[in-house]
Order: sequence, then structure tokens, then C-alpha cells
Amino acid sequence: MNLNEPWWIDAIKALVIINLVLGVFAYMTWVERKVIGRMQQRYGPNRTGPFGLLQPIADLVKLIRKESFFPGSAIDVLYITAPVVSAFTALAAFSVIPFGAGWQVGGYDITGQIANVQISLILLFALGSFGIYGFIVGGWASDSKYSLLGSMRTCAQLVSYEVSLALSVLGVILMAGSLSLVDIVHSQEADWWYAVPQFIGLIVFFIAGTAETNRAPFDLPEAEQELVAGYHTEYSGMRFGLFQMAEYVNLIVLSGLCVTLFFGGWLGPWEPLGPLWFVLKVLLVLFVFIWMRTTLPRLRYDQLMSFGWKVLLPVATLNALVTAALVVAL
Amino acid sequence: MLDNWLPFLIYGALALAIPLSMLGMSFAFATRPSHRTKTRTIPFESGVSQGPPRLQRFTISFYLTALLFIVFDIEIVFLYPLAVVLEPLGWFAFWELTFFLGILGVAYVYIWRKGALEWR
Repeated sequence: MNLNEPWWIDAIKALVIINLVLGVFAYMTWVERKVIGRMQQRYGPNRTGPFGLLQPIADLVKLIRKESFFPGSAIDVLYITAPVVSAFTALAAFSVIPFGAGWQVGGYDITGQIANVQISLILLFALGSFGIYGFIVGGWASDSKYSLLGSMRTCAQLVSYEVSLALSVLGVILMAGSLSLVDIVHSQEADWWYAVPQFIGLIVFFIAGTAETNRAPFDLPEAEQELVAGYHTEYSGMRFGLFQMAEYVNLIVLSGLCVTLFFGGWLGPWEPLGPLWFVLKVLLVLFVFIWMRTTLPRLRYDQLMSFGWKVLLPVATLNALVTAALVVAL
Repeated sequence: MLDNWLPFLIYGALALAIPLSMLGMSFAFATRPSHRTKTRTIPFESGVSQGPPRLQRFTISFYLTALLFIVFDIEIVFLYPLAVVLEPLGWFAFWELTFFLGILGVAYVYIWRKGALEWR
């Protein structure tokens, strides 16, 4: 592959994509409040601008203007860097997700992803695991009972479900024979999208992914009735905002990964729409996440752990084994 | 090869700059209390504070989970490279995979029967 793609195209692309991701994050908070409001028969935010559309901007201004409260007993360097680490890894993880087939504009090649590295899937999981540090260290460094409990719960939960998450993807890797997300999308071009042959893998991936992003019904790390707010109890102002951003961007990345692995990425019935297909599918997956949050009650902690280790892990392993047998046999 | 990583570095720098700038803005524009009192900075404990939990003890299950994670995550580290080359290698690789997962399955059953998967 010899692409004529100078560094400044990469820079422009990176700038556009990162701002799009942040825009989706900002309006995801609005859509979530609006949808949950409607599902609970209330209006949701409707004061700032038409339909409350300026709510994310108002929230941002408010968060920046708020006092950055700092608990006296907190460990300062760790307390301040933790949200930055979380937000950075969440944003950086999006760089390997392909959103289009690539275009040619005036002799230059524009690839449909920011970084086409061969090990993109491993890189994505590595960044995700690294982001957990932010949650754990942040909760530990703020030196409060609820933060500490919340971060311990986060740690145990994320670590347990990461095993199932990584194993559920194994079936897709076996079928595609590559760790590069671009190759995985290309291998879905001719045949069924992997959602059909890897149906069990998709279900395991979706459940483990919900737990991995601390979404309901797996939002035990921040169960507000028990733990005030979990690991970010002591955070306020923009530092709290960064944690919130990390969570939502993680969710967007996970939806993007889900679409890439199981729903054919940018592929769709009509070719020219390209990236729009990807965006549409991601928004649909995000909507399902919001829907689940309003519908399902929270699990108990022992149920959560035993479900992860006793149900998801064996199912994911068996799925990988059967897929391996079929891949070799066919 | 290294060319592939340049876009990632550019993007990574942006991804780091955005949270940092947001944090910087909150330093620059945040409202500050006119005078600081010590009681404001104690950690939140639902009203009654007994001081920070410096030496709080934890359920052993949290540590057990961490150990289990190491066992099963290493398994995945081994399986990913094999999964990429499984189709060219054919049945040999499949039996290797089955053997590996079989040993792990024995360990899994042992862990389960020992009660390590039970949350206490």
C-alpha cells in the first residue's frame, strides 16, 4: 500500500474527527436526557434554546465556571491527572475505528480511518484497559469512603467483563483472520455481516460492553443509592466533566467497535452514503444503550460477578471454539 | 510501517490537548470562594465525617477477582495471535487450541468447585 497521504491531511482529519466525537458526546447527553424523559412521561430539558438544544453548551459553561473543589486529604497530582488519563484514552481509542472506505481528492488519498495499524483491535483494548487506571486512581486518590468503594467496584467489574469482551471478539478474528479493523470490515463485504454467523459473540460482546462502560443495568460502580456517585464523588467542575466525557466517549467507541465488528462498519445497501451508514448505525446502537438504561433495573453485585464469570466466560469460550472448528472445516 | 503510527500520534496529541485545555480553562475561569475554611475540604461522608479512610480494609473477593483476571487475560493474549493464523494452519492449530482450552477448562472447573467464583 503506497498511499499519497501527507501528514497535513492526517492532521485535518484528526481535528475533524475528534470534534465530531466530542459533538456526538455533547448531544448524546442531551438525547439521553430527552429520551429518558419521554420514556418516563416527562419533557426532559426544554428551557435552553428550542427543544433544549443548547443544554450541552450551557452544561459545559457551567462546569467550567464551577469551583474546582479539592478535598483537603486528596493526593493532589494523582487526583488531578486521573480524569485527564481517562478522557485521553477514551478519545484516543477512536483513532483506529474505520468510518469510510477512503476517497481520492485531487490526487491525494484520504483513508477512511485515522490510523490504519495492523494491531488496531489490540491497541483499542489496551487503551481501554489503560483508561481504567483513571477511574481507579481517581477514586483512590480522593481519599473518601464512597470514592474508594466505587473505584474498587469499578476495578473488579471492568476486569471481570474485559475477559468476556475480549473473548467474544475472538470469533470475529477467527473468521476475518486479521486484527486490523479495516480488514475485518472488508471481509464482511462479500458475505453476511458477522452479526449473523457470530450472533452469540454479538450478544456476549454487547452485554460485556455494557458492563465495561458502566451503563445500566451494570452501573454498580456509581450506584447512586448506595455510593453517592461512586469513584467521582469528590470531583466537581471540569474534572468531573472530564470523567463524564470519558464515560460517554468510551460508549461511543464501544458502539463504533460493535458496528465495525458485527454490523459491517461503513457498508450499506447504497454505496455512496459511506460514512453516513457508519454514523447511522452508531447512533442506533447508542439509542439501544439509552433504551436499556430506562428499561432494566440494576443488578446486585454478587449477581453481576457470578454472571460474568459463570455465564459469559464459558459461553464466549465455547463460541470461540465452535467458530474455530467451523473455520477450519469449511 | 512507522508511517502508520504517525496519524495516531497526531490524533493522540489532540486527544491529550483537549482534556488538558478543558482543565486549564476550568483553572482560569472557575469561581473561587472568597475565603477557605477547613471544614469545606473534608471528604463527603453523608454529613458525619470520621476522617479519610486511610486504612480501610476490603473484601478478599476484590483481590481474588484480580488474580482470576490475570489467569484468564493471559489466555486471551495467547489466543489472539493464534486466531489470526488459525485458518492457514488448519486442523493442527485447532487441536492446539482445543488442548490449550482443555487445560484451562480443568483449571476453570477447579476454581469454580473451590468456590473462588462465589462473591462473598
